[in-house]
Amino acid sequence: MEIDKALEELKDIMVERLKFEPSRVPDLSLATALPKGIEGSLGLDSLDFIELSVGIEERFGFVIDEAQDLEAHFQSLGTLVEYIKSRLAGG
Amino acid sequence: MLGLRVAARMASSIDQAGQRWYAHSYNHPNLYRLAATLGWVPRRLRLGLARHIGRLAPSRMPAERAAIRTAMTRFTGATGSRLDTLTVRVFTDFAMCFSDLVSTNRQIAALRSSHVGNVEGVERLASLPGGLISLTAHVGNWELAGRLLAGRSARPTHVVVAPDEAEALQRWVRRDGEGVRFVSRSRPTVSLELLAALRRGEVVGVQGDRALGTRGDVEVPFFGHPARFPLGPFRLSSAVKAPLLPAFCLLDSQYRYVVKIAEPFVAARGEEEAAARTWVAALEAIVREYPTQWFNFFDIWAPFGE
Repeated sequence: MEIDKALEELKDIMVERLKFEPSRVPDLSLATALPKGIEGSLGLDSLDFIELSVGIEERFGFVIDEAQDLEAHFQSLGTLVEYIKSRLAGG
Repeated sequence: MLGLRVAARMASSIDQAGQRWYAHSYNHPNLYRLAATLGWVPRRLRLGLARHIGRLAPSRMPAERAAIRTAMTRFTGATGSRLDTLTVRVFTDFAMCFSDLVSTNRQIAALRSSHVGNVEGVERLASLPGGLISLTAHVGNWELAGRLLAGRSARPTHVVVAPDEAEALQRWVRRDGEGVRFVSRSRPTVSLELLAALRRGEVVGVQGDRALGTRGDVEVPFFGHPARFPLGPFRLSSAVKAPLLPAFCLLDSQYRYVVKIAEPFVAARGEEEAAARTWVAALEAIVREYPTQWFNFFDIWAPFGE
């Protein structure tokens, strides 16, 4: 999957599941940080991450693995796109 | 970037401001140190001492006393001298549970055999082989319940705790071991860790009685009055279809602990609020039976001073 395509899918999840204002979605980029507590981030909290992970599973058709450390993959839209690409490639 | 979010979602500012409403004088490291020091005292004597200290507490903690009186009124309908007695009893019961928790935390095997009576509903635990969410509340000896269940489930148990509790109190009651691992809520990505644990068939222990003051709370009637409860446990359940298992550990009249495990249930997708109501009904049943082991020393119906 292309990076741009994965990013667009993530933006859709943000709007549909996390209730983001659609008119501001174009401002999202690969550099956009996700967790709250990080300067300039989207401020996602623990419930948002549950929604996001469920949305990714449904949209991309894979189960997020049971590895202990998923945190690094959910730091920004860019790291998340890379993670999704890797999983879709069988990684 | 926060401007990207709709206004309703900005209501999480209470959480971001670091709400510390639950903090009270009991939750101080010096008291944990004192209770741990008294761990060598024979239990009957130690519990007597704890009751004595507990009886002194209401007069020194007027805000907590007022909150407990409100709770006892709503839980029991008591008035007058009976209400006074029940109010003091909450403090003495808390002191005994606190003393047991701190002094026996490191002797859990001995505690199981000597201080624990019935485990009601243990077959429900055995019938749930996969990941499950052990849902409890600040009722009775809730931390002991987590350790006892971890021993019985024979699965790693991840106990979710408030961030500042994890820091200040870890030395006494937050020690990892015997299958229990404490997980602080300080990182928002902790939910990913918990989802992964549930998928591995492990246990997540979480408190379901204290609202967070964020959009992640839901309002449910509690003893006939609206109160806020956290939605997180139910969102976890619906995300991975993990059963929720209400579990409580209560001190009986013989000063032995009885563990009560209620009927498990799963939060269906989109039905998380209904699941929260199921949980609150189970909590009400326990509190009705053991009103003086309700250990939330603040106004549960208005925790943020609304």
